[in-house]
Amino acid sequence: MIEFRNVHASYNASVPVLKGVDFTIEDGAFVAFVGTNGAGKSTTMRLIDGLIKPDEGEVLIDGVPTTELRTSELAKRVGFLFQNPDSQICNNTVRDELMFGFKALHEEGPEAEERVAGIIELFGFDPDADPFLLNRGTRQLLALASIVVMAPQVLVLDEPTTGLDFRECEKVMDIVRTLHERGTTVVMVCHDMEIVGDFAEQVIVMNDGRVVDQGPTFEVLRRRETLERASLVPPQMVDLSLTLAAADARLAQAPVGRANTLDEMEAAVRAEAGKGAGVAEGAPVVELAAAPTAASQSRARVIPFPTARDDAAKQAAEQGGR
Amino acid sequence: MIKIENLTFRYRESEEPALHDINLTIPDGTFVGVTGAAGSGKSTLTYALNGIIPHCYPGDFYGSVTVEGKDTCEVNLTDLSCVVGSVCQDIDSQMVASIVEDEVLYGLENFGVPHDEIPARVDQALADMGIADLRDRMIASLSGGQKQKVAIAAILAMNPKVLVLDEPTAELDPASSLSVFRLLERYARQHGTTVVVVEQKIALMAQFADMLVIMEHGGIRYAAAPAEVLAHSDDLLRIGVNCPRVTTLVNRLRADGVYAGPACRNVEEARDAVLEVLA
Repeated sequence: MIEFRNVHASYNASVPVLKGVDFTIEDGAFVAFVGTNGAGKSTTMRLIDGLIKPDEGEVLIDGVPTTELRTSELAKRVGFLFQNPDSQICNNTVRDELMFGFKALHEEGPEAEERVAGIIELFGFDPDADPFLLNRGTRQLLALASIVVMAPQVLVLDEPTTGLDFRECEKVMDIVRTLHERGTTVVMVCHDMEIVGDFAEQVIVMNDGRVVDQGPTFEVLRRRETLERASLVPPQMVDLSLTLAAADARLAQAPVGRANTLDEMEAAVRAEAGKGAGVAEGAPVVELAAAPTAASQSRARVIPFPTARDDAAKQAAEQGGR
Repeated sequence: MIKIENLTFRYRESEEPALHDINLTIPDGTFVGVTGAAGSGKSTLTYALNGIIPHCYPGDFYGSVTVEGKDTCEVNLTDLSCVVGSVCQDIDSQMVASIVEDEVLYGLENFGVPHDEIPARVDQALADMGIADLRDRMIASLSGGQKQKVAIAAILAMNPKVLVLDEPTAELDPASSLSVFRLLERYARQHGTTVVVVEQKIALMAQFADMLVIMEHGGIRYAAAPAEVLAHSDDLLRIGVNCPRVTTLVNRLRADGVYAGPACRNVEEARDAVLEVLA
């Protein structure tokens, strides 16, 4: 669990970046932080990872203040994907990059080698390739892979899809989703509200160093006025739904006025028009899916790589065996 | 005007051409959005417009690129950069100064802009980008998004006839991205600046661009008005370009005759389409 208690932070004491931030992220959650440049999102991520310490207040990871945890302990629990993969990559081959975390923690050995080999196969990397000669999307995947291979309990992603094309973005987010489904807590800063809507279960809105709204993804994303105060706009389908509801009061009560995803909106429009495939005029209105990511989850794939939960299970099994 | 004729370019170390038989004419004052999958040739196309190829990257260059009457192969980069202002994908590689104001001043001073014009142009560019408050900041202390704004301000201050920007809003938040596109549109409409933007944010380009260019394997798959290009959402998805979701929604309704109007580019057009369907 990650807890922020009245956290104040700054890079230069005269310019406060966070001005009293409070939130709690439960184990296994998928939380997106949204807000404008300079709202304090990336600073919040750096506090979670212990890269910076609070000026006031406390950042707790599993109940322990980050100020009391050694960097190596934090690094085991929290994997951090930087906005720019070049801030992270520091080895001359893909294989060395993936081994780097194990070396830093003095955990080299057959198991580390096995994990690295598995990740290389999974991501389709050339193990001898020079990371700096790879294209941006592949470097981002390598940066992500170098974290995934360490199986952290918490994955912190600072703009994971910046600079990626659609396919690269899908690949990165498919992997993130699979990790989350297998128990990893995911904390993501993201400017792309479509991705936020597709993947996050909860959203925290930041503005001027403060949390101004938080809650289940589409509850937050449908509060247009709050988003506007933070200079944000909802994802397109939510925007369209709210726009239709504003244009016609009758639609505000209809599924069209409550649709959050593309599939929900399409079904709602067809039902409303009485022309949907197999939907007769006067048929009952479409029930909207309760889960916000129903549409995107249909594309989920099973990807076999280690997670913190796997490690814990393995450890428990080994202990049981002894 | 920009005229690209039969352009093929192969980087020296590559076996395959990065650009293959490109033909494209862009009238003055046109706002062009270029997109495509990674490796489709988008950035190389920008290099062809600002003269980086063939002047900086060696390779085989066939055909011609003419910008404002200048053949990019026959003029040097200095002369070409008086006409074409560029913002690179890698912002850090573009920065030459350590202070924001100096970065914006650099081009103006080096291109011999009269000294009495310089302060007003710096003020205007910083104000246009909404970064007047960053004027005295160290560039190293800025976020990626702030650096992008500084790089764009430095180019806008030069008042180039052609602006070529490679992913200028990649690190910007939605509000800043929108304001950059509005600003670029204003330069195109009010100053007649030709704007060529490479971006993955197709929803923004669909909203602002006069022409969308979709690249695939070094060639041009589509080059037309946004609504015309976006009508092909299935094909675009096949080549790795995701349409705005409102476009996909309306295209699905068009596909089986539920809606008979054109492809839509933004939420307002989608609202009108849905209201027409439900009327």
